[in-house]
Amino acid sequence: MMRLLVINHLTNAYEALRSNRLRTFLTILGVTIGVASIVVILSLSAGAAKIISDQVDQLGGTIAVVRPGSPGHDAELSGLTAALAGNTTTSSLTEHDVDTLQSIQNVSAAAPVMFIGGSVTAKGSTPKDVSIIATTPAFTQVTPIKMSDGQFIDSVTDDDTAVIGSQLSIDLFGTDQSAGRTLHTHGKQFTVIGILKANNNPVNYNNIDYDHAVFISLQSGKSFNQGVAAIQQINIRTNSQDALNGVVSVADKQLAANHNGEKDYAILSGSNLAGPTNTLFGSFAVMLVVVAAISLIVGGIGIMNIMLVGVTERTREIGIRKAIGASVSHITWQFLIEALTMSIAGGICGYLVGYLVAFSIARTFLTFDPAFTWFIMYCSAAISLFVGIIFGLYPAIRAANKDPIEALRNYH
Amino acid sequence: MATDSTVPVIVLADLTKRYGSGEAEHTVLDGLNLTIEKGEFIAIMGPSGCGKTTLLNILGLLDRADEGDYFLDGRSVDAMTSARMARIRSSQIGFVFQSFNLVSRLTVIENVALPLTYQGVSKTKRLQAASKMLSTFHLSEREYYMPWQLSGGQTQRVAIARALVNNPSIVLADEPTGNLDSRSSHVIMEELADIHARGNTIIMVTHNPDLTSYATRVIRMNDGKIDSDSAAPRPKKPKTAPKKALGKIRKSARIAKKKVKEEATA
Repeated sequence: MMRLLVINHLTNAYEALRSNRLRTFLTILGVTIGVASIVVILSLSAGAAKIISDQVDQLGGTIAVVRPGSPGHDAELSGLTAALAGNTTTSSLTEHDVDTLQSIQNVSAAAPVMFIGGSVTAKGSTPKDVSIIATTPAFTQVTPIKMSDGQFIDSVTDDDTAVIGSQLSIDLFGTDQSAGRTLHTHGKQFTVIGILKANNNPVNYNNIDYDHAVFISLQSGKSFNQGVAAIQQINIRTNSQDALNGVVSVADKQLAANHNGEKDYAILSGSNLAGPTNTLFGSFAVMLVVVAAISLIVGGIGIMNIMLVGVTERTREIGIRKAIGASVSHITWQFLIEALTMSIAGGICGYLVGYLVAFSIARTFLTFDPAFTWFIMYCSAAISLFVGIIFGLYPAIRAANKDPIEALRNYH
Repeated sequence: MATDSTVPVIVLADLTKRYGSGEAEHTVLDGLNLTIEKGEFIAIMGPSGCGKTTLLNILGLLDRADEGDYFLDGRSVDAMTSARMARIRSSQIGFVFQSFNLVSRLTVIENVALPLTYQGVSKTKRLQAASKMLSTFHLSEREYYMPWQLSGGQTQRVAIARALVNNPSIVLADEPTGNLDSRSSHVIMEELADIHARGNTIIMVTHNPDLTSYATRVIRMNDGKIDSDSAAPRPKKPKTAPKKALGKIRKSARIAKKKVKEEATA
């Protein structure tokens, strides 16, 4: 009986909505815009988060990262700000820690990352947004980077040599074939011995924009910082995925010994690696979703508005339906399902339009694609249901509580 | 719904209904007592504002009395919930109003099938029942017309078909011919007389004294009270519409119908 009525209410809603096509279309459009903007935001932020987990997967889940700062939330934030500011703040990690980590069983490589401030000059041009990174040759083993020309810094060539990103090469020298040319930073001259392959992927767990980066040896980096290695990050790679957990716990113990029991570092592995970036994108996404929610409320008000108009227009119909046996709940459901039909239609359109927009944004301005997740699908379904119920309930209750006698008296 | 034939369909005891409050209070029904047996055809007459429509609304469970008792099929409606009242409206009562009876968005057959919707009858069965009912009113050709494509008389016949589709024990008609010319009025009254002859109880409110000749009992109301209550002499064929005249009316109705059909096909 209930099932029959629901089908009946659905056909009824369809007929009622079809008889006012333009009105229905505009109302649905309101919800569509709201849901679409939320889908755009969520799919793009999920897409950004996915890049990092993909990178981790690419290395077969054998990567762990040590960062200064206490574990937990603080570590994530410091990991972020250190990289974003690109400064050489004092760090609790030392070269000794790198050696310690390197010597742990099953560790195939450990590479320090030291961010150095300052600019790079060649032939009089000084591009902005350059990051200077001092590291060891082991870096190539802990990060998936590819060379387009030349070689990465190694133990033989590490003095006064640099490896630069492809875009930086173009900015400095007007070509990506810049091997053998020289550049200046901190008053020192460096010879370019290698150019990285264009990577176009500024989001990664090293927080390095490879295309705009200069890699120099750790020795050179130390010379710019009074001989002290300010290591913002140590990347470790293990022999196998199975060894990772064991290595992380051994590393934790040995670093604790190095630091006299002070937990001023954090070891991140697996999904934790994406944590800081996720936090960053997550907080952006939350802010944008709040803005998008406003457009959803406007869409919901549109539904309520049009439903109230519909209730008034169909006062007579409500009176007739009640007289021939419709109960309060029948009428409530009839109008609620009508509102829900509009909001869910808006939700479906919004989901599709949202991905369309997300893809066009991503392909035009961004370096990654939006992600498809169940969460986004459930989210748009839940949002449209919620909007339909919240904004459809009041008109429906108002319709159901219309006095049939009053409703029938309105002869016009 | 099976009802005990010995119990009167409707018993009203001291029924009172007031509108407004304080100085503006106005008694519409003033201690009404009335018993209606199964199978009666009752015409309720009286000047405007005497409480006829209010009485009909209370009988149809659209409104509640302030005081007094109303027994429908021997059960007091006083304590009923509105959902229960809605169920009784859908199963036992058929309504015919003066005008704008039909839901304008729905086709004729959907309008007729509407009461069955609220009884949970499946769509196919609903439409079958509605189609059968329409054919008894010679409206089979109009099944998929929209209400605005019908004449006033046809609209009212569709409304009567709808009132009967759920096989109600009472048919309530509020000035069913109020908006019709006298020719269509008599066609409608013939239909009502027909369904009465099939054993239905009909309660009709009317202004038109001519129409009382179709009824078995005429109740005159004034100021919320029953002025007179008399069994009407029941001529098999009403004086106002002798058989010949009626035949003429039906014939002209047929011609009109044909014309509409031709226009529709053209």
